[in-house]
Amino acid sequence: MFELQRNVVFGQFVDTGSVIHRIDPRIKLVATFVMLVASFLIDDFLGFAVALALLAVIQIVCRIPVGYFLRGSGFFLGFLVFVLAFQVLFYPGEVPESDYLWRWGILSVSTEGIRAAGILGLRVVFLYYVTTMLLLTTSLVDLTNGLELIFGPLQRLKVPVNELVLVFVIAIKFVPIFIEEVERLARAQTARGVPFDEGGAIKRARRLGRLLVPIFIGGFARADVLTTAMNTRCYRGGRYRTKFRQMNARPSDWLILALVVAWMVIAWLV
Amino acid sequence: MTDEPPILELRNFRYTYLEGTPKANEAVRDVSFSVRCGERVAIVGPTHSGKSTVVDSFAHLLRLKQGQVFYEGEDVAAPGYDRAALRRKVSIVFQHPDSQLIEDVVGADVAFGPTAAGIPAEETRRRVEESLDALGLPYPDFRLRYVHALSGGQRRRVAIAGVIAMRTPVLVLDEPMAGLDPRGRRELLGLLRRLADDRELTLVVCSTSLGDASLLCDRVVVLSDGRVEMDGPLREVLREADELAALDITLPEPVEGARELRKLFPDLPQDLLTEEELEAELLDRLGVA
Repeated sequence: MFELQRNVVFGQFVDTGSVIHRIDPRIKLVATFVMLVASFLIDDFLGFAVALALLAVIQIVCRIPVGYFLRGSGFFLGFLVFVLAFQVLFYPGEVPESDYLWRWGILSVSTEGIRAAGILGLRVVFLYYVTTMLLLTTSLVDLTNGLELIFGPLQRLKVPVNELVLVFVIAIKFVPIFIEEVERLARAQTARGVPFDEGGAIKRARRLGRLLVPIFIGGFARADVLTTAMNTRCYRGGRYRTKFRQMNARPSDWLILALVVAWMVIAWLV
Repeated sequence: MTDEPPILELRNFRYTYLEGTPKANEAVRDVSFSVRCGERVAIVGPTHSGKSTVVDSFAHLLRLKQGQVFYEGEDVAAPGYDRAALRRKVSIVFQHPDSQLIEDVVGADVAFGPTAAGIPAEETRRRVEESLDALGLPYPDFRLRYVHALSGGQRRRVAIAGVIAMRTPVLVLDEPMAGLDPRGRRELLGLLRRLADDRELTLVVCSTSLGDASLLCDRVVVLSDGRVEMDGPLREVLREADELAALDITLPEPVEGARELRKLFPDLPQDLLTEEELEAELLDRLGVA
């Protein structure tokens, strides 16, 4: 509880200065998008094996420790296993009688069910890994600029791109801030006699309720301050803003994108 | 008397936040000092010197390792050590009072600690009244006020009242004067000094400024970059005014004044603490007296 940040990796940015960190954010965003689409097209274990090999390469190149990533994903993975168990037990598809391994009332375990749950699980892990890795290796400034540039043309169609991107980025930025806030509150309340570091899981969960109200109040106060700060500094939409740092995709960035696309196509076709 | 173990002790205390992750942050590198019962110690240092981490360690609010933090000679990180009991003996007033205010209404919030500790309602009510009165928040006026509707200074006092109501022998204050105007500062200083006298508290005050701390404490531990730079009686530490200034520690006004005046009177003593002392020395030198 006192070091909650250990257990949440989503939304964090860890700068190791690796090759992946230095790729043009627009290229990274497009590559992420390609991988997300591919994860929905790939439909067999062999395809995912090829796709997951790319994740292994990314993991090695980005120099973010595997242990840190896994510990920060424990809660998510546990939840996934829980959901997949239900998927197997209540598998709704048509199953030939010979495929059943076990059956009890509406509950059943079939090879078909396991296969479907396995593919679904791989797909979710893939999605989770790709998005988390994007956030881990891209600073929020880069992410904002990248998104704005990619969706910039939509502004001609009166889509408020800048505002949407801003809201999205602020939402992500608030995740680690909220976590820090929870830590601070947990510490202060423990000091006053609410033992956050003791008791079983249910007791701990119940005590979390005490944190919700101050967190919400704090969140609104923070949003208010942010709005005022932006107004006093005359913030206005992106169309009128110029960038101090221009983005330049280097040939190597394009090469990486081509590699990702090719890899995903192969994974889809095998 | 001297055989008694110190009430608080740190032995080669070191602490790294998020140890073993890429976000690891070494806040305290090597800190050893002890506080005897009834002592009033100021922990002074610039921001990021490790003050708040040291404060949190006293009530075991971190993932402590064994053999580093002791209360009355007992290792607080030892397996089976009663942390809840420790927190009923060491109270902390945090830098942001809002984080430690739990209930909406002043009276209920001050009553929170004693109630959680299982103290009977009648006794709790008496303590709430006494604590609020002691902090200059008259019980009948403030009992039912909403915490959010109070001013910053009042919220800090409510936070202190909530901690005083626990009747702990040790009171730790993290930046108690931050954000107060000069008058609020003076008032709070007076209240804290009276509280510490009346209840014979062991007092630990953290601050970036020696000005406030010098009015509450008689011993100073100077931290810098997670290490102890100096440790000694107030006057002795103040003799190193230049070093303190180099560490970005705000000095008490008379000391700062004396530092400037030493350009005119190089023989001004190094251990002037109050305006009166400085005035007397100056008058002496000007031959007015």
